[in-house]
This record gives sequence, C-alpha cells and structure tokens, in this order.
Amino acid sequence: METKRISLEIKENIAYVGFGYNSTKSMTTLDEETLKEAKELIENVKNKAKAKEVHGVIFFSHLDSCFIAGADINLISTLKTESEGAYGAEQGQIIYNEIEDLPVPTVACVHGPCLGGGMELALSCKKIICSDAKNTVLGLPEVKLGLIPGFGGTYRMPKRVGLPAALDLILAGKTVNGKKAKKMGLADGVYPKERLLGMGKAWLNKNKKKQSLKESLSDVAVDNFITRKIIFQKARESVLKLTKGFYQAPLKILDTMEAGASKSRTSYMAMEAQAFGELCISEQSKNLQHIFFLMEGAKKYNGPKSEKAVSAPSRGAVLGAGTMGGGIAWLMSNVNMYPIMKDINNDALELGLKQSSAIYRNGVKKRKVSFEDFEQKQRSITPTTSYEGFKNVDMVIEAIVENLDIKKKVFADLEKHITDDCIVASNTSSLKVTDMAQAFERPERFAGLHFFNPVNKMPLVEIVAHDKVAPETLEALYKFVLKAKKTPVLCKDGPGFIVNRILIPYLNEASYLLMEGVPPQDVEEACLNFGMPMGPGRLLDEVGLDVAAKVGKILYDSLGERVKPIDLSDKITEMGFLGKKNGKGFFLYDEKGKETGPNQDVMNLLPKKKVHMDEIEIQKRVFLPMINEASMILDEGIASTPAEIDLALIFGIGFPPFRGGLLRYADSEGLERITKTIEEYAQKVDAQRYALSSYLKNLADNKKKFYDL
Amino acid sequence: MSLRPVYIVDGRRSPQAKAGSVLKDVGVPYLGSYLIRAILDEQGIANDQVDEVIMGNTGAPPKYPNIGRVIALMAGLHKRTSGYTVHRNCASGMEALAQGYLKIASGRSDVIFAGGVESMSQMPLIYSKEMTELFVNIMKARSVGDKLKAISAFRPPFLSPIIAIEQGLTDPFCGMNMGLTAEVLAREFGITREQQDEFANRSHSHAIKAHKEGKWDEEILGLAIGDKMDKFLTHDVGPREDSSVAGLGKMRPYFEKESGTVTVGNSCPITDGGSMCLLASEEAVKKHNLNPIARMVDYHFHGLEPERMGMGPLLASDGALKRTNLTMKEMDVVEINEAFAAQVLAVRKGFAEKAVAERFGIETVHGEIPDENFNPNGGGIALGHPVGSSGCRIVVTLMHELKRRKAKYGLASLCIGGGQGGATIIENLIK
Repeated sequence: METKRISLEIKENIAYVGFGYNSTKSMTTLDEETLKEAKELIENVKNKAKAKEVHGVIFFSHLDSCFIAGADINLISTLKTESEGAYGAEQGQIIYNEIEDLPVPTVACVHGPCLGGGMELALSCKKIICSDAKNTVLGLPEVKLGLIPGFGGTYRMPKRVGLPAALDLILAGKTVNGKKAKKMGLADGVYPKERLLGMGKAWLNKNKKKQSLKESLSDVAVDNFITRKIIFQKARESVLKLTKGFYQAPLKILDTMEAGASKSRTSYMAMEAQAFGELCISEQSKNLQHIFFLMEGAKKYNGPKSEKAVSAPSRGAVLGAGTMGGGIAWLMSNVNMYPIMKDINNDALELGLKQSSAIYRNGVKKRKVSFEDFEQKQRSITPTTSYEGFKNVDMVIEAIVENLDIKKKVFADLEKHITDDCIVASNTSSLKVTDMAQAFERPERFAGLHFFNPVNKMPLVEIVAHDKVAPETLEALYKFVLKAKKTPVLCKDGPGFIVNRILIPYLNEASYLLMEGVPPQDVEEACLNFGMPMGPGRLLDEVGLDVAAKVGKILYDSLGERVKPIDLSDKITEMGFLGKKNGKGFFLYDEKGKETGPNQDVMNLLPKKKVHMDEIEIQKRVFLPMINEASMILDEGIASTPAEIDLALIFGIGFPPFRGGLLRYADSEGLERITKTIEEYAQKVDAQRYALSSYLKNLADNKKKFYDL
Repeated sequence: MSLRPVYIVDGRRSPQAKAGSVLKDVGVPYLGSYLIRAILDEQGIANDQVDEVIMGNTGAPPKYPNIGRVIALMAGLHKRTSGYTVHRNCASGMEALAQGYLKIASGRSDVIFAGGVESMSQMPLIYSKEMTELFVNIMKARSVGDKLKAISAFRPPFLSPIIAIEQGLTDPFCGMNMGLTAEVLAREFGITREQQDEFANRSHSHAIKAHKEGKWDEEILGLAIGDKMDKFLTHDVGPREDSSVAGLGKMRPYFEKESGTVTVGNSCPITDGGSMCLLASEEAVKKHNLNPIARMVDYHFHGLEPERMGMGPLLASDGALKRTNLTMKEMDVVEINEAFAAQVLAVRKGFAEKAVAERFGIETVHGEIPDENFNPNGGGIALGHPVGSSGCRIVVTLMHELKRRKAKYGLASLCIGGGQGGATIIENLIK
C-alpha cells in the first residue's frame, strides 16, 4: 500500500506506524487525508495481526518537533451543521476503536506535542510511553476552542488516569510534560527521546505494574455511583466559578461524561460525537477558533518587510528602574538576556531589583521557579548608574518618567553610548513616539514598545511605529516580544495607541453613567455579565485613577470633545484615592490587594437620586463608544486590521474571548443595528460622545462587516 | 623562550564585608560572575571571545565544584569557555593571575579572566571524624539489630562540628594558628602592641579617606544583596570611621591571651568578596580595540618556614624584583596585604634592615618604602581578607592607584598561610 502521510514498516513482526512522514511542516495535524490513510493503514495492520504476521504495533512520529498536535482546526472550522460535526467525530472514533481493538499489543511512543486528536490516538493504544524532552506535552486542549474531545478522549482518559485527574485535564485543557504524565499514570514510562523506539519494543511485551493496594482501594472509592456524583458536582461548581458560566463547552463535557459514565463504548461514543457536533458549530466555538487563528497569525511578523534577516535581540538594557523598568528587567532576565538596568541612583535601582525579586519570589513560592533559577536570573540583572556596558547590548528599552523633554535628553545621551546596530524602544503610554524619534540621530532604530502594568501578568505589548522607523527595528522588537512569551501587536503612532484609545471612551462612559445616577454596582455587574474580567470601577482602580485621568486628558487634548473626561476622576484623585496602589479607589483594598467593598467616600460624590437602567442598555452605552472608536482607529490606519484590534483588546484588557473580540462581536450584532443605536444616543445622550464614525457608517451603509475587509 | 607581553585590560572587585554580614546570602559564584559580565560589557567584547576563566578559591560549599567553570557559565560566557579553580591559600587570586599570565605570555591563550572569590560566610561545618564513621556504620548495617548497635555507639561530643574556616587557618605542618605566627614575628622583631594598633588605625583612616574621595568607586562594582536580592551594595562594610588607637588598645590579645600583642583589631577580619582581572595578549588588545590599564610585568612565589609565613612578602618581592631587574625605588606604589599588623610591619623592616633581610637569606636591602606609597588606601585590616580573592584584589587596587597617580611601576604582595609569599609587579599604561 502506497502512503504519503503515514509510514508503515514491518520489522521482526512488529508494525511501526510513523506519523509526520514526508512532512515539511514542524507540526503534524490530523487532516482529512491523514485520517483517510490512517483508516486504511489500521485495516491493513489488523489483517496482518489476524494472520499472525504482526505481533505488535508501535506508533511514533518521524518529526523531532511533534508527535501529533491534534485535529486540523481548518477542517473543524469548515463544519457547517451539527450532524456534519457529529459524523466527523464518528469517523475518527471508528479508526481509534479499531486501534483499541487490535488483537496485538500496541504502544504509542510520544515525543513532541501530543494533543487533542493525537492524545486520543495514544489513549487508544494499550500503552503510552513518552520522552522527557521539553517539547513533549500531552493533553486534551479542545475545551480552549469551545469543543469537546471528539475521538473518544473523554471516554478513554478517565479509564486511564481516573475520573478526577481526567476532569482536571479535560475541563481546563491543561497539558502535562512527560514526567508528570508518568506520575499521573497517563504514560507508562518516560525515557530520553533516543531510547523511545527501543523501549517501545520492550513495552510491547511488558506487563503493567500491578496495582498497589492503595491504588486499587482508591479506584474502588472513586468508581462508584455516589462518589462519581460528588466528583461531577464539585467539578461543575468549580467550572461555574472559574468561567462564571460564560463557557458552554466545559459544561457540555461534564454533562456528556456524567450521562455516559456507565454506558457501553458504542453508546458513549455516540453521545460524545453528538456533543462535538453541537459544540463545533456554536458561535462560541467559532469565536474561540477565530482567536486561535489570530494568535497563530500573531506568531509571525507581518509588518513592513526588512531588507536583511533580523533575529531577536540577545542582550538588553532598560533605562529607569521603576515599576515598569523593574518589570521589564525581570522579563529580559527571565529569557536570559542578562539585562543592564540603569537609573540615576542606588535607591532607584533598589526599586527595580525589588520589583523583579518580588515576581521571581512569587514564582518560587508557587514552585514554578526554583530558588537556583531565581538566584541566577535575578543576579543576571546588572544594576548601574552609568552607561558602562551599553556597548554590548543590542536593545535598550526606556521606562523613565513620562516627560518628553527629559526623554529626549536621555535619548540624545544614550545614543552616544550604544553601537549603531542597537535598537531603542520607549515604553511610553501617553507620549507621541514621533516626537521622541526627533531626539535621535538615527531615528530608524527607535520605536514605541508599550508594556502594560504589571509586566509579568499582562500578555500584550504594543509596538508603535513612526514615519522614520526601519522595518528591521519593528521586526526585532516583534521577535523580542515573542521571545519574552508575550503577544505583540503592531500599530502606528497616535494618542493612546490601540488599547488605551479604545479603553478611555469605555471608562469615560461608565463615569458618565454614574453621574447620571446609575448605581455603581449595576454598571459593574452589567460589564461583568457581558464577560469582562472586571467592571470599569475595578479596572480604573487597577490602572490607577491618576494614571487614567492623565491618559484621559492626553486623549482629550488630541481627540477633542468626543472623549471629554468627566471631572469625577479628578475629584476622586484629589481626595487622595489613587486606586489599588494606595488601597482606596472606587473600592477599598486590604494590604494584600484584595477588594473589601465599595469606598463610601467615592459613593458620596455620586448623585443621591438613583435611576434604574436595564443591563443591556448599560452595556450598549459603554461598549458602543468602543466600537465607534475602534472604527476610527482603523480609519486612521493606526491599526491595519480588525484582527489586530481584537487581539489587542483580548490580551490588553481581557475583552471576553468567547465573544471573539470587539469587532467580531460588532459584526455578529450587526453593524446597521449598531450605527442606528449610536445615532440614537447622539440624539438622546450626547452628540459629541456618540458622534458616529464615518468609517463605521460606510461599512453599515454598504452592508459590510469589519471582517469583510 | 621569549614571552609575550600580558595586559591587564581592566580589574574590578566586589564590595567586601565581614563574613556573616551583608554578603552572606550571595552565592559564592555570584561574587565573581557579575564582575566578568560587567568588564566584558564595558570592553564591548562578545561572550564567545574568552579563552578561559581561572578562579582562586579556598573553601566553596560542595554545591559548587570547580567554581571557576561555574562562574564562567553564570557570567553568561559561551559554553565552550573553559574554566578552572586554583588554590594557593591566601594567594589563590594571585595564583590565578600568575597562571593567566603564563598562558598568555607563552602564546597559548589570548583572553583570560583571572580572579578570586571567597565567601567565608558559606564555608561549611564538618562533622567530626567519629560522627562521620557513625554515619558510615549505620549505612552499612543491614539488619535492624545491626543498625541499633551502630546507633548505640553515638556519644554527644560527636556532634561538636569542625569549623572548616578554623581548621583552614591552622597550619597543618607546624600546628600553629595564623595569629600565632604573627605573634612569632612580633616577638622576634620587636614589634610592639602600640605599633600594631597604630598601623591598624592607619588602615582604617586611609580606607575611609579613599571612600570619601570616591576612589573605591573606580574599582568596586555594586551587587544585589539580601535573601531577596533586592538591596544594592556599592561600598565596603568594614572600614571604621570611629576607629582610634586608644580604642584598639582596649582590645584583648586573641591568640596568645596573656602575653600576646595580636588582637582582633590589629588583624584582618574574615571576609566575603570577589575580584577579577581581564588579561589579554597584544593581539587581543588590537583585535578588540582595547585600552588596557596596565601590563603585568611578572610574578614570583617563594616558600619559607610555616611559622613565619607572615614574612612571605619579603621573599616574594625580592624574587619578583630580581626576576624583573627592577628596584624597590622604582616601585611607585606598594600594596602588601594586611593579614596582621605585626606581619606587615615585620615585612617593612625586612625591606629596610639588613639584619632582618639576612635572617631570611636575602642579601639585598631593598630600602624603606615611603609611607605615602605604601598601602595608600589602607588594606586588609580595614577592608578584610577574603582569602581566595585578596591576591587579585590587591592588584586591582594597585592598578587603580597607579592610574590615578599616572605613575609607572607597582608591586603587590601577600603572605600565604603554610609559609609562602606571592608578589606581582605591574606597569601602569594610563598616562
């Protein structure tokens, strides 16, 4: 039999089935053709096994980079109906059942990512062994795409690792490395990758270790009707708590697994396929798949083309050792860039060291970082008050005080101490990158690089271009952000770049609502119920009321009445309430930063007379100005695609992923409806703040969507 | 064989602090690795251009075997950079320089980091011989009965630990503590308690003066300290501004309790610290466009009676001067490591007085060293003596002083526990 995607070789009566055969990609996915080949190939192996020509089967991958990364998502995204989805799942199930039913020993030798459909294939084998390599990860991450594992994963995983561990893996879409897989019983052995095939052969005839008394007891304890009920109940509670009920997939998975718990394989599989069919065409899953594609897209630099090959900077320096500077020094040290951290005196440097140390120590406390790693990486930061050593860095990030004149002076000075190849970025959040570029003799080496606070937690980084920037600079910064395991978004210079520009109208409008007499808890809840990770009041407290007011003013200065700030923030700031950082803002916070309730002093500033507003109305009032502003950003070319804006808001402010992003959400709601409402609000609420973007109007008039562009 | 010139491109050191104080949490390799990185960066040399790292160290915890290699890796040097550790007791740092010198001079290497690190805070405690045997017996025992039998041999005194540092400071050959060897010199060469205290006081006042004038800033690189590694230390913790001869006079002799003269106050404290020099050949200087501060002219090591080890600098300096055909008069600055005031004063006597020199088999009277040229910024009594580092530290301090003075030659020398002396002569190139 001639195969293209999967190899079959029979040596000494052992069938070796190799994935990633003839592959030019680094990741193997189960596309239509591979599945078709797999089906025929297994049929063939089965016949040989029956004829006693084959005594055992070993599944492996030809690639060093991947076992099987899962089903092809492009394939899933083409599914149109429930029955089409269910049918697709059944086709996979049939193949995997065949593997499970092979009358000879089977071993999956896993090296590299083994996820989703790949994991399910391995689960169909009698034994799984895996490599101890860093890139070997096992798991069923389907839930992250709003799906249920559809090739029998929810059936076989509990059988292998027990119900509690299986739920843990499936509901959170968690992945585990080889060592962990062995420990939890998912894998039978872990070996160096070079020994994997040899050990696979040995495992064909090896018996599993006999269960210890403890293990059999715990099996009995878990595997009965009552405990199962309790486990499912607990799992459901924790899912609801974590997802606030916004996500259907984990609940659907729970339903399926619970209802099918005592069913036969055939009827269980039918239920799983049915659930897959329902989920795969759901709006939510489509949205999550959309985000998956956005994220995949963001892994590659897509900006202006560089003339030469550009690699990520290898040594970094940071100017300014404040909260952001210290955080950036931490980030660089964490990816082995041995950063130099410069500030004007030792006290300032200590602040930066504290910042970085605190992040590392938190990791040590959570056992995510070893003390030795902390020591080595923290000590890889060189604190200094001079430019000594700047000759040896290829990237400098400035994070000093937000003052254009001071920054320009520092840049002019800096340029004397760095080599021509060194790129420079400013972590400004409010100044114009174009203005700063003027301080440089070589402005092409400079760009904006906007990190969000706190650096270690916020995944987004905006890379801000200006007219004179070289593509090489943008590409190097892009690669640095990826290397630092963050999500980069390219944009052009403009007030507030992407995220703050869209965020301010939202926060503004929430404040206006409060002054209209809408109860604060109603506003917070309306936003939470929309899926935002926190309400606008909480968000303002996180950002810092003074910072928000400052950014708000800068936007007002350049964008005018549309984003006119309300004086509420000023009043609150004047009273000394800066938000979470000093424990008092809209809410009060204890020493650990935990919210303890609303701040009555702030509540007293609001109108005594409360008005009731429907939740949907509140949501429209705060989210429509965002959509309107986003249209203007597209119009001005600050962001070049709706995808960039959606990605930026999901990772920048936690815009609910299940909605697929702000503009995808707008598309799904219908742009005509949206423009109509904005125009209504312009009449009813405020003509300036709801001045409709001509760009948005055009789209609506032409019956187009953002994503049609 | 003709030797190539060897350049000291730069030399830096860590702040020094009494063992058990502010530097106690700094893992030993980190007293050196950051110096390498800072020097490398300042010189603009890539991390794969270093041939070797040679580190002096006498007592690192077992966690860091061959600390020279550990430091090379921690510094972020290319993994193919070789590294090793040398131990010549108090002169380990100078031995590192000496080996670097030979390798470059002979044409084997071009770029070498040589220095020393010592965390006397982290020197291990060792179980007594009896306790170690007990552990071995327990491990050997197979049955429960045998185990119990082995355990029953335990006696509480087994638990009293041997302090590695204390053992290290006692000569294994003559059985004398280093402090006692200083007492020998004080007795034999008539060095009084007052002279020792005055010299100790001088060390403090000179070190404090240098600190106030910002001189140390040129050689010290700050580092993060504390168990959280979030404090920044940029100066020595040791020199005392309130030091006085009267105050020192109140201290009781430490080693020879009743009739002695050597006190904790007129000896160097046990100390944590690191120091580092970048050595380069002429080719490397050209290739990387470097501007070396000094040239390492030569070095010399010499042995003598262990019980008079403090006189080591006399013999080593004599040897180094003879080897280089230079005279003491030509030395613009002389740094003698201050292990004990008595020992340094005896060495100075040996340079100036024929009878003392002859006592150690030296024919040349090298001549008195003018006080302003001798340890002009104080020394080990005020700054401390991190054993593995001091041999390099005094060269670092010397080169920066010569540079400030725009002077020519300098001599750095120190005594070595076990009965040796080491000396290095350098030439300042910054005019």
